[in-house]
Amino acid sequence: MLALRASAQYDGREIDLSVVTAADDGIGDGGGGGGIANGEELIRFANAVLGHDEAELAAARTAIAGTLGGAALADTAGVVSLFNAIVRVADSTGIPVEEQRAADSADFRAAIGVDDFAAAGEKGSG
Amino acid sequence: MTKIMYEDLAWPVRDEVIAAQQYAWDRLGRPGTWLSGVERIAVAAEARNAAGCQLCRDSKEALSPYAVEGSHDHLGALAELEVEQIHRIVNDPGRLSRAWYKGLGDAGMVEERYVESVGVIVTVVALDTFTRGLGMAPWPLPQVEAGAPSELRPAAARRQMAWVSTLSPGEVLGTAESDIYDGAATAAHIKQALSLVPEEQRSFFGLVDHQYMLGVQMFDFEKEIRAITHAQIELVAGRVSALNQCVY
Repeated sequence: MLALRASAQYDGREIDLSVVTAADDGIGDGGGGGGIANGEELIRFANAVLGHDEAELAAARTAIAGTLGGAALADTAGVVSLFNAIVRVADSTGIPVEEQRAADSADFRAAIGVDDFAAAGEKGSG
Repeated sequence: MTKIMYEDLAWPVRDEVIAAQQYAWDRLGRPGTWLSGVERIAVAAEARNAAGCQLCRDSKEALSPYAVEGSHDHLGALAELEVEQIHRIVNDPGRLSRAWYKGLGDAGMVEERYVESVGVIVTVVALDTFTRGLGMAPWPLPQVEAGAPSELRPAAARRQMAWVSTLSPGEVLGTAESDIYDGAATAAHIKQALSLVPEEQRSFFGLVDHQYMLGVQMFDFEKEIRAITHAQIELVAGRVSALNQCVY
């Protein structure tokens, strides 16, 4: 999320990082998107791919393709799938968050609830 | 051989993504560093099977993953220890702990086999998630190829920052493994995570480089390299990490 914040700062945009950890209410709501262009559709798609509602996934897919285009849908699926895997690399090998990264992200980690995740204390976030 | 192709989709998948996926998928059936082709395919099949495990579903709902007793629903090709590893990594990665990992070791888990299995598991997770996202059926697992694992442990591997042994970037400069960090003397911790089994690191980071981006591209906001922007990529990445309760 450091890179997300940095990308917004580069563009001079205000973003709401809390959408990243906001509860999925299950109604296909992307939570406003946090100020990122098409953020709602992107979060909705991520929720749907990791969820179990096939109709919602189909609708989320159509929404991305309709607003951002087919190449964007393929690239978004690439990011969702890669991060669904890479979190398992991090969590199963016990790598800690880098000290500098933990320090740089301490403010928003606490604010948006990342420090409340089960592994936060053990892996250097909490 | 399973041919990875997306030609029938209405949405274009970049050639470099297809090539990285094909490489990673083909490796599943080949002899690895510590696992045979038969064992690698067994791990891959169990990773897929884990999604339907009732014990895992009940455990995930419980306050503690240890609050529910029972046995995993598994395919019967692997030892219970390996099944426990695979199912927990697939179904509840955010609550894995050093104590859990140590428990596997105390019960006989071999560190090198563990790390290679992680590489197999995340390859299946990555490609299965991708096809699901695009509305396709999962790819068939590849055929097993005969042969023995190489059993080559990098000389510089040692226990340092993680639960598993890793290769420090500074210590592999000038060795056969220096390519895994692109010859750099430093690397993000995530890039070091699978380094005990360099072939797994190389294969997985082929997916990282093409489905996400290279490390040097992460903060180069002047140049957009995908059909979605840096901010959009990071929003999706952050959301998926949060849904998995990952702090990294």
